[in-house]
Amino acid sequence: MSLLANPKETISDLSRPEKWVLGVSVAFMVFLFGALVTGALGPAYFLFLVGLAGMYALLSFGLNAQWGFTGLINFSVAAFFGIGAYGSALMTADSSPIAGGLNPIIGLVVALVVALVLALLIGIPTLRLRADYLAIASLGLAEVVRLIVLNERWLTNGSAGLRGIPGFFKGWPVLSSFPETMPGLRLVIIPGSPILLETSFWRASLNVLLVFAFAGGTYLVLRRAHRSPWGRVLRTIRSDEDLARALGKNTYSFKMQSFILGSLIMALAGVFYTHLNLYVGPGDLDPITTFYAWVAVILGGSGSNRGALFGGIVIVTIREGTRFLNEVPVIDPAPLRLLLIGVVIVAVMRYRPQGVLPPQRELIWPNAIDDRGAPERPESGVREQKGGGDDE
Amino acid sequence: MSEGALPKDDVVLRVDDLQKSFGGLAATDHATFSVERGTITGLIGPNGAGKSTLFNLISGFYEPDGGTVEVNGTDVTGMEPYEVADHGLIRTFQTPRKLEGMTVREAMLVGPREQPGESFVSLFTSPGAVDEAESANLAEAERILEDFEIDHLATQPATDISGGQMKLVELARAMLAEPEVLLLDEPVAGVNPTLAKKLKTQIRRLNEQGTTFLLIEHDMEFVMDLADPIVVLDQGHVLTEGTPDGVRNDERVIDAYLGGGA
Repeated sequence: MSLLANPKETISDLSRPEKWVLGVSVAFMVFLFGALVTGALGPAYFLFLVGLAGMYALLSFGLNAQWGFTGLINFSVAAFFGIGAYGSALMTADSSPIAGGLNPIIGLVVALVVALVLALLIGIPTLRLRADYLAIASLGLAEVVRLIVLNERWLTNGSAGLRGIPGFFKGWPVLSSFPETMPGLRLVIIPGSPILLETSFWRASLNVLLVFAFAGGTYLVLRRAHRSPWGRVLRTIRSDEDLARALGKNTYSFKMQSFILGSLIMALAGVFYTHLNLYVGPGDLDPITTFYAWVAVILGGSGSNRGALFGGIVIVTIREGTRFLNEVPVIDPAPLRLLLIGVVIVAVMRYRPQGVLPPQRELIWPNAIDDRGAPERPESGVREQKGGGDDE
Repeated sequence: MSEGALPKDDVVLRVDDLQKSFGGLAATDHATFSVERGTITGLIGPNGAGKSTLFNLISGFYEPDGGTVEVNGTDVTGMEPYEVADHGLIRTFQTPRKLEGMTVREAMLVGPREQPGESFVSLFTSPGAVDEAESANLAEAERILEDFEIDHLATQPATDISGGQMKLVELARAMLAEPEVLLLDEPVAGVNPTLAKKLKTQIRRLNEQGTTFLLIEHDMEFVMDLADPIVVLDQGHVLTEGTPDGVRNDERVIDAYLGGGA
């Protein structure tokens, strides 16, 4: 990491919003660390929150691959998330009415395959049409999936939901019994408020490991794709689909690929959620998840992967942070949460409509630029550079 | 058959009896003409003559009600625009298309066809081939920008350049797709005279290097100077075809432009 090798230079290279985000993140981490040390925030719960943040980041990555890259308006984020969650839960849970008890890896594969089929089903009729048709169809799809989950009791257990879901690492060597074998630790950093690291902590840290693997892998794949000629065609479609068609691009195929990729990532978020929460119910398919993902992507900056990551973390902070306001008797946290998100989105649209961390100005396959030896560092601001700035 | 069609040896684009109506209006009414390889063919006609509709039909954006379009001897009637492009026909648009959030050279790189990096799988299975193609395309894009004398714009945001420069970029990008026949829809509409002159020079240069052009243009001086032959369209059908001088002095053409003869 260049940040570690040469911190001063890397930081001075950052644009203003990047510095701002870095500063806020560091302050936030210090705050969290303080809360952990003083015992205000339980370590297992903290790791659960990290897992949740990773899950929202995955959802935002998925939506960003559709809306941010290609301009596809998908209002069924919750449905693909739910397909992922239910797909894996139905395969692995003890209380599953159909299969149950299978290895979580099988659950993962089944969830992804079902999400793929669903994406094809909705994509084939709508992606040839204007962008609005996908938006309308996906809005309907989300409700259809939710109502099926709620009502088809023989398949999904209906409103009772699914319990008895194992952790993701069930059946793996070492990792499956890792939480139980680790000793309980008792750390005393501040006298009088010891921090207990018990089985639940170790279980939560496995989840964090899993979500880091999912989200990290997804991020690397998306970053490469976004800078590639493939990503460039998607961005052309987002700006002007007719132009892409005139230049010989099969836009239907590209839109389909982008839609499927995003849907699979959303399903992956659902799979993770299943093994994080260990309970899945129809409430998890409520449309609010879709809107959280949209807020995260718009807040972070449409088309930007790191923006989606940032947006996902902000959403979890608002969603879970407001729980701590329970002690304040005057304010009811539930409506406050939505109000806060509303305020944040209004503020971003008013003062920074491109989002907090918009995509970099120029995205060219990095090796092609390196080969030419041009020390070109695209900045996110509009540059005033005229003539001869790029001489070699 | 249209009257006055010239004999042609090597036809790169053939439009035969093409028809298209919108509701009761026949926008393209049995249009027949062809474009000979190596020419700059002009397509003129009064407003509403159906020039843009014809372009959309040829390039696959509209589906014709009848008739055929042949590119390089292949029947491309009813094909998708990307398939028509694969057969060597590329078009530009009347209003320059803006690519938001891209720099000029990035927008240029959309042009080359069949890039290995446009396959999602290859990005991960054969990054070497992607590197190679991308470097080559970037070098080619920069070379073409230099040829067009707009290389200083390479890292400018594609939306921040003037309308005339956008037209130049569009033409340059279309060249990256290596078309055999390039359809230009009003290349100098809204372009200042200096840039229009530059565009004319470029089109002529590219034509000498082997690209065939078919262009719609309202600027008579521009099209008469550049194109030969010229096809005149009126009310959806081909009125006549001939040399600039022949067309200029044709009574029917003058009538069509003045609104008579109907």
